[in-house]
Amino acid sequence: MWAARANDWQRPLGLRYSLGMKTIIMRIAAAALLLCLRPLAPAALAADADNIAPATAADWQALAKLPDWSGVWTPVISDQVAQEKTNRPPWKPQVTRQIEHMYAEEDAGRPFPIIDHCFPTGMPSWMLITHNAFEILFTPGRVTILGEGDGNRLRRIYTDGRPHPADPDPSFHGHSVGHWEGDTLVVDTVGLLPQAYLAVNEAVGVPNNGDMHIVERLHLQGPDTLLDELQITAGKVLSKPWNTTRKYYRQRARKFDILEGVCEQGSYTEAVDANGNAIFAPVKFHNGVPVGSDSK
Amino acid sequence: MKRVALFAALAAGMMGMSAPASAHHSFAMFEPTKTLTFKGTIKSFQWTNPHVIVWVMVQPDGAGAAQEWSLETTSPGVLTRSGWTRMSLKPGDKVSVTLSPLRDGSHGGSLNSVTLLDTGQKLVPSFGKEMPGLK
Repeated sequence: MWAARANDWQRPLGLRYSLGMKTIIMRIAAAALLLCLRPLAPAALAADADNIAPATAADWQALAKLPDWSGVWTPVISDQVAQEKTNRPPWKPQVTRQIEHMYAEEDAGRPFPIIDHCFPTGMPSWMLITHNAFEILFTPGRVTILGEGDGNRLRRIYTDGRPHPADPDPSFHGHSVGHWEGDTLVVDTVGLLPQAYLAVNEAVGVPNNGDMHIVERLHLQGPDTLLDELQITAGKVLSKPWNTTRKYYRQRARKFDILEGVCEQGSYTEAVDANGNAIFAPVKFHNGVPVGSDSK
Repeated sequence: MKRVALFAALAAGMMGMSAPASAHHSFAMFEPTKTLTFKGTIKSFQWTNPHVIVWVMVQPDGAGAAQEWSLETTSPGVLTRSGWTRMSLKPGDKVSVTLSPLRDGSHGGSLNSVTLLDTGQKLVPSFGKEMPGLK
């Protein structure tokens, strides 16, 4: 019944004014009742479609019930390498040709420059091929993953019950919503740039070309092992959804604290200009790598 | 096949680009099965993401004009965890370096280790085994 009333408001404007006075009074009463009840309602951050409700003490206390994912997580690169051989994405035939070419180029010492542009590695490649550490923060209504490596490596996963926007602006990390199933964080990601790579290593992968959808189930596999179970649907490049996993080990030593990582900084060296100012001077590159200034 | 050829041409075109400089990359352009050892002098120690670069002046043949080589390695984060600091190498330090060189003969390589000749300290760009709870 309430749904039917809600639908009333979606009628063309002229029809709204045709509502009876009784209906209008009932609506005002219902709205007033809702306003009164709101402070007593269970902690729910997605108060309405347009606003985030203030986080309450109960919201902060609820975080204590979540699993402990503190510390710094380092990718298990040997597992990445092993899975690259044993669980290949179900590439479409025309993509397989590109992938085979990339492997041949890599073997010949001419790696395809998937990550060379210093854009964020993006999703899902960050989770799949990274060599760098990350940390995971819980705040009311949010899980945030902060990485190390390319300057803007972060994922905002909204756990406040909101849906995806109808038409999110495409981005490298997409729009992610999540919810907890016990100690498992289930994350649904859409809104990815078509240019975001679906990569299996730093030199082999293709842009997803649009309409990619990623579902992840993140949970502790052991006391200090985080497992990400990914299902990647990318109909432009994959013949069917691809299921894969990645593992990360927990580190607690302070020397593992995440450092700032600005990718573009690596293209410059520290120098001093004629006025004595500390500046960045460009490094000489050849075929994608820095080389001595006296190189050909 | 036409598409593959076009793709190959595009890829080759991208590889040939000299600008913009590209800081982050795979290490497949280095020859992993080849190891060189040079003695030289640190020119500068570029402590930057995504790759730290040891700029070193070397005489590969032990004589003649010194050459400037770029020896790339992992990130400041990984090096910090491996016991390095941004002060580990300073301009003027005399070193012995081992590296896997670029396949195209340019003056660059992937750093395997660097030894400070004054102290004998050997620095390796790895924090060891893949396991949780590393100290």
